[in-house]
Amino acid sequence: MTDRIASDGVLTDEQRRSLDLLLNMIIPPNSERGMPGAAEVDLIAYVNEFAGDSLVPIQGELDALNEKSHDKFDISFSELAEADREALVEQLRSSRTWTAQSIVVQTMACYYQDDRVVAALGMEPGPPFPRGNEVVSGDLSLLDPVRKRPKLYRE
Amino acid sequence: MADDIVDILIIGAGASSAAAAWSLADTRMRILCLEQGGAMRPEEYPSTSKNWQVLRNVPYNQSPNIRRRDADYPINEDDSAVSVANFNGVGGGTVLYSAHFPRFKPSDFRVNSLDGVADDWPINYSTLGPYFTQNDLNMGVSGLAGDPAIPYHEFALPHIPIGKMGEAMGRGFNKLGWHWWPSDAAIISQDYEGREKCVNLGPCNSGCAKGAKSSVDIAYWPVNQRMGVELRTGCRVREITVDENDMATGAIYIDADGSEHHQRAEVVIMACNGVGTPRLLLNSTSPGFPDGIANRSGLLGKNLMFHPWGFVEGFLDQPLDSHLGPMGTCILSQEFYETDPARDFVRGYTLQVTRGQPAVNTALVGAMRGDIPWGEDHHAAFEKYFGRSVNMNICCEDLPEECNTVTLDPDLKDSDGIPAPKITYRLSDNSKRMMAHGVARATEALEAAGAIQVNPHGHTRTTGWHLMGTARMGTDPEKSVVNEWGRSHDVKNLFIIDGSIFVTSGAVNPTTTIQALALYVADSIKKNLANLFD
Repeated sequence: MTDRIASDGVLTDEQRRSLDLLLNMIIPPNSERGMPGAAEVDLIAYVNEFAGDSLVPIQGELDALNEKSHDKFDISFSELAEADREALVEQLRSSRTWTAQSIVVQTMACYYQDDRVVAALGMEPGPPFPRGNEVVSGDLSLLDPVRKRPKLYRE
Repeated sequence: MADDIVDILIIGAGASSAAAAWSLADTRMRILCLEQGGAMRPEEYPSTSKNWQVLRNVPYNQSPNIRRRDADYPINEDDSAVSVANFNGVGGGTVLYSAHFPRFKPSDFRVNSLDGVADDWPINYSTLGPYFTQNDLNMGVSGLAGDPAIPYHEFALPHIPIGKMGEAMGRGFNKLGWHWWPSDAAIISQDYEGREKCVNLGPCNSGCAKGAKSSVDIAYWPVNQRMGVELRTGCRVREITVDENDMATGAIYIDADGSEHHQRAEVVIMACNGVGTPRLLLNSTSPGFPDGIANRSGLLGKNLMFHPWGFVEGFLDQPLDSHLGPMGTCILSQEFYETDPARDFVRGYTLQVTRGQPAVNTALVGAMRGDIPWGEDHHAAFEKYFGRSVNMNICCEDLPEECNTVTLDPDLKDSDGIPAPKITYRLSDNSKRMMAHGVARATEALEAAGAIQVNPHGHTRTTGWHLMGTARMGTDPEKSVVNEWGRSHDVKNLFIIDGSIFVTSGAVNPTTTIQALALYVADSIKKNLANLFD
């Protein structure tokens, strides 16, 4: 873990804008389910604290995305119209020329540990300890057919 | 320190060590245990943090090559189909184990007589019977009596909850007419011996912050220390020393400050399990033992057995809360445990049903596989998979082969310059056929339970939890390293009590059998005190 706890200054403005757009393309907000978009969780602060080794690959993936955008449209990813952004990402992903693996891995880890997300999924935010979880004991009458069997082991 | 002699010196503070020390403590002999790691701090375990799902990935990783704590030694696994899992600290592997606690069966000790393969053990199930019982009481084991797949035995504590997932899989097994049963677990389901019961934190295999999992730092060592056993941590043993009469004289170890000591002892007991024990003995060379102490048979480090392990993941079309509960235990099926001549392999396997994936893994694996897409459909897809997954584990019996070895790596060393182990291991054709059968049966069981999607992963490399066979026991000094009660054939005051001395592997997690063996060896030492070195 690093000492940095804020995301300011870690990304260039262009990287930051691209990341915010990209994150909500990966996991968009869903008001019906009460789920925030992935851009609403502070991915870079999370990466700084828990996955410092991923920061450079994430920066590289954002730079590569912008490079592809410039190659195709002569403007950066964040300046593209929504339809063009989606078309570009779809084309890059299907051709496997850009996979954003580090961004996806860290987004899933960050998003699904975020308190708002955990609460929206119907779970109690926070560490498992000391709270714990309820698990039903189970219906042991289901074992009746097994109990009726002769011994299954050899001496 | 040089003149300080203890009666019993135990190397390692894991499962076998703790049990043996407990047994020997009533002799009032002076017992010292050297452990290269430190005492655990449960308040630091991942489950005390909301980010537990990622914190367990590195500092509590099962692989010493990833974890790389100060106490860890590297392991060369380049030539191995299975990578080693262990933990170095007070509690040893039990700190991270899942506490799945099934016993060996009677046939596991008689594989040659029954099936014509490998060798019989020089002891049998009934030899270990009372020690299984005693160890269950000491550890705190939960389970349900009456399983027709194992000789009858009772439990001090009721079984741990099987949850909706266990019920669903039980119905699936019933449809097929197959055996299943709630897993024996070294987890206390009710308050026990001053410990509070399990509250289903979940990630047992990154340390139990509650202390409900019966790791031996919780279940045994506090008692042992109250009985007078000395536990010295941060002490990495480099070599077992021996005199000109082929008697062990003690151990050379390096303490946490880097100072070297020679601890003298009347009796030395090795308890570093199937990789650590042969590594240390192979490193202990002398004119009388140029190939490593206790290795005149040439078998030290050979016959390494893991359990070839496979996974099949299924998803049911109903909410199961499968992400909740002790991760590594739920129910098991031993329908295919015993040899059936109609199959194309000998011996058998256990199907273990373990809990489903927590949220991060569900999302991550689903996204990587393409099941959980980017965009608007992400949330619905996540709901389809989360809390509905079931892990079917195929735990195959591994038969001993001399080509599967622990040797010393010529180049790799630990932080104290001690040569590190190298693993050479391959799956046998018998294991591959058994695995294929197990994957097919696990798939069948999941489908019978109503799975809407099944992902058969098959053999998985990162499953080297069970380390056995590298200092096998037997009555013939040319075909074994220790005798029928754990004493080295070559060095009369050197004992081995861990998984190294297994003759065969069974098809279940070995810890309860390791500990029963350790209690049996300790009891044998006590019974033979008058002529221990004859």
